Order: sequence, then structure tokens, then C-alpha cells
Amino acid sequence: PRPNVQPPPSGTHLVFAQNGRIEHIPLEGYDMKPDQAKTVLHLPGKLIIGVAYDCVEKMVYWTEISPSSINKASLEGGDIIPVIESGVTSPEGIAVDHLGRNIFWTDSSTDQIEVASMDGSQRRVIVATDLVNPRAIIADPPNGNLYWADWDREAPKIETAYMDGTNRRVLVKDNLSLPNGLTYEPQSSLLCWADAGTRILECMNPGRGDRRKMTEGIQYPFGMTSYGKNLYYTDWDRQAVVAVDTNGGRETSEFLPLKRTKLYGITTAYAQCPAGQNYCAAN
Amino acid sequence: DSTKGTDEDCEACPCPSGATCAVVPRTAEVVCTNCPPGTTGKRCELCDDGFFGDPLGQKGAVRACRACKCSDNMDPNAVGNCDRETGECLKCIHHTDGFFCDRCKEGFYGNALAPSPADKCKACSCSPLGTQGQQTSCAQVTGQCPCLPQVSGRDCSVCEPGFYNLASGTGCERCSCDNIGSTS
Repeated sequence: PRPNVQPPPSGTHLVFAQNGRIEHIPLEGYDMKPDQAKTVLHLPGKLIIGVAYDCVEKMVYWTEISPSSINKASLEGGDIIPVIESGVTSPEGIAVDHLGRNIFWTDSSTDQIEVASMDGSQRRVIVATDLVNPRAIIADPPNGNLYWADWDREAPKIETAYMDGTNRRVLVKDNLSLPNGLTYEPQSSLLCWADAGTRILECMNPGRGDRRKMTEGIQYPFGMTSYGKNLYYTDWDRQAVVAVDTNGGRETSEFLPLKRTKLYGITTAYAQCPAGQNYCAAN
Repeated sequence: DSTKGTDEDCEACPCPSGATCAVVPRTAEVVCTNCPPGTTGKRCELCDDGFFGDPLGQKGAVRACRACKCSDNMDPNAVGNCDRETGECLKCIHHTDGFFCDRCKEGFYGNALAPSPADKCKACSCSPLGTQGQQTSCAQVTGQCPCLPQVSGRDCSVCEPGFYNLASGTGCERCSCDNIGSTS
């Protein structure tokens, strides 16, 4: 059955999951336009965890659990297209490499990171060891990097690797607790994360390794995304999307959906793909 | 369809009171759009993540949505902790298992319901040399591994008094010491 699809207006917007819905909020500049927020996909009974956006085909990809699968649909209307239907137990974070045309996802039950083509073919496990509770995963296609966070209560960490899983390194492990949200802003080269345990929003330049606290005393972040100077995270306690300015770390606004329930993954749906060369263009 | 001009043009939403509904274009399916707190689904028949029950009583008696009951052996930061209908725990931690995470998982023993995680389930760690068929599982509560003949200890790591050669892997052998020249 086709879901209830309403095409979002052109321009950049945020896309986030709330139970069996994928909602969107248009951005004007960096500000959320709450009065124009809409449900773009209504999937009653589904529990959507992670969302990612392919700026090339303007499709949203999502992971869902109970039962578990990965699907996609056009944000401008269209059927749900299954991408991965078997062999996923608890898929959580999902990332799109819009240049290489691949998707990456974490699975918190198999404790693996997998990659596949955008249609689900050519599937392969790229990280299979030393993962306990992998959740957020982010792709940086122009530089060919992946970033992910593992909220393992005994040894939480943020890691990076090339997009084939090689050159894996731990970027952050100290003073972490439950790093649920993770995002990378290509323009500023800032990797930022939101920790539901320390309740701190923090950023670093992965190349330089300089950590800096953005905001302390946040509530219960789950998903996070960025757009220019702003960070946006979903919060389980506030049941809201919160916007934070990375210049100074001040909260600038919040969006409270009509429906009062937990919010999960969030991503930025760019009006146009960010500029960037395909790192694999030469081969 | 409010354009036909008859009394039956508009029907009541097939949703619990307070919920609104919408018709999905093309399929003409009716789905509820604003289910009461804690519920979701096309007819508000399901519980939210982290809760279980049967709010409309579709499979029997009405069971309001309640938080997953997993014997303190689930992590509130995890998603999908229990089956939304039956309440079966799906993400047991502290080496526990079972419908309510109420027993130790295979290869562990102890009391899954102990208050402190350190007191819950410990690894069987059966000695591979002294355990039947090199099994890795042990008795739920006592942790006794199934020992080879004349082998003892919870983990089957020692020979019974008067026996030796655990390393044989087939059980321990009688010492056959001379009664006169031996102290035991």
C-alpha cells in the first residue's frame, strides 16, 4: 500500500522519524519553519529509527525495526521501495554516499556495519569486530570517510574508517557516555556528537583532533544532523527537534511536533547536492 | 467523499476517540493519524517503542500499553527492547536471556534477577579438559559443568581425590599408589 505522501516544497529541509512517520520541516536560512512542517510518509505500525537522504535522486532511506528492513521512497511522492529485506536484525543508523551510490548502515544486534548499492545489491560487511552498540553512522563522500558512534556502556567510542572499512581508527573514547547523535559538516570539517549520558554536545575537527564543547546540560539527544552553522538534534525527553548555533553553542529554536512521542533519526535534505568530487572518479 | 451529496458521504474515523484519520490517496485506505499517547498503528492498535500490550483487544482482552518488563536487564538507551504486542524481551543485557530476561543465557550461570549487575550472570568457563564433550554450558543456578568421570569442581578443573591425569581429556585415572609407601 502506498503511504500518504505530500511533496515537500523545494529548498533545504530537515527530515526526521517519529514512530511510523517521516516528517519534514522546511528551513528558511537556518531557521526551522514549524508552521510548514508536514508528514511526508505515514507508515502506521512501523518503527523507524534511522533516516538518510540521497540528494541525487531525492529519495529518503530509512531503517525500521519490528520487523526489520531498510526501505526508500521519493520525497516527492511514490511507492515504498524495499532495499534490504533480510539479514538485518536491528538496523539503526544509515548513511548515503551520494557520489559512490552506496548506503551504509549499523546493526545493533549483529554488531556490524554493512554497505550495499542503493538498490540493496552488492551487499558486504565492512566492520565486524569490536562493536557493541553501534548507532549513528555518517558518510563524508568527498573525502571517502565514514564516521560512526558506539554507545557501549563499558567503552563508548567514535570511530572512523575509509568507506571500505579499512584504516579504522578510534577518534574519541574519553569522557563519552551515550553518544547517540553524530553529524559531519563538510564546509567547516566539523564532526559533532550529542551524548545522552554526559548531556554534552561536542565537536572536533577529525584531522586535528581538537575537541570543544558546544553546549552542556542538554536533555536526551537521539539523532543529529547539521546544516551550515547549525546543528539540529532530536530529543527523547523534550520530544522535540532542537536547533543549536555552532557559533557560541546557543540553542536557537525548537520544534515540537503535534504528536507527543519519541523522535528518532534526523537528516538534512539538501535542495542541491553539496559540491564535491567523487573520490573514486578516477577508477 | 463529501462531494456526492448524500447522508453517507462522511463516515466516522475507525479510530479511538480523540484520534483523527485520513484516507490514503490511491489505495483509499483509512489510517488513524493522531493516536492516543503511547499508541500507534493504522487503527492505533499498537504500542509505542518500549511499551507492549493490545490496546484495542484485537487478540483477546484489552491490555493497555505498559513499559517493557525485562527484569532490569534492558538498557533504556536501546530501541526495540520488547515485542510491542507480547512484551517478549528482545535486547537482554548482563548476559541474560528469556522472555523477561529472567534467566542467564547459554554459557552463563547465576541469578539473572540479582539487583547488582556484578551478581547476575557469570561465565560457566568449563574446563575443556574435564568437561563432557567440551561443553561450554553449565547448570543455570549452580553453574556446575558436566564433568568427565572422576573429575570434580564446578568448572570440572580438578581430579577427585585419589585420581590424576586431567590432561587425558577422557576423565581422571586412579592413582594406584602403594598403600604402604603413600601418605594418602
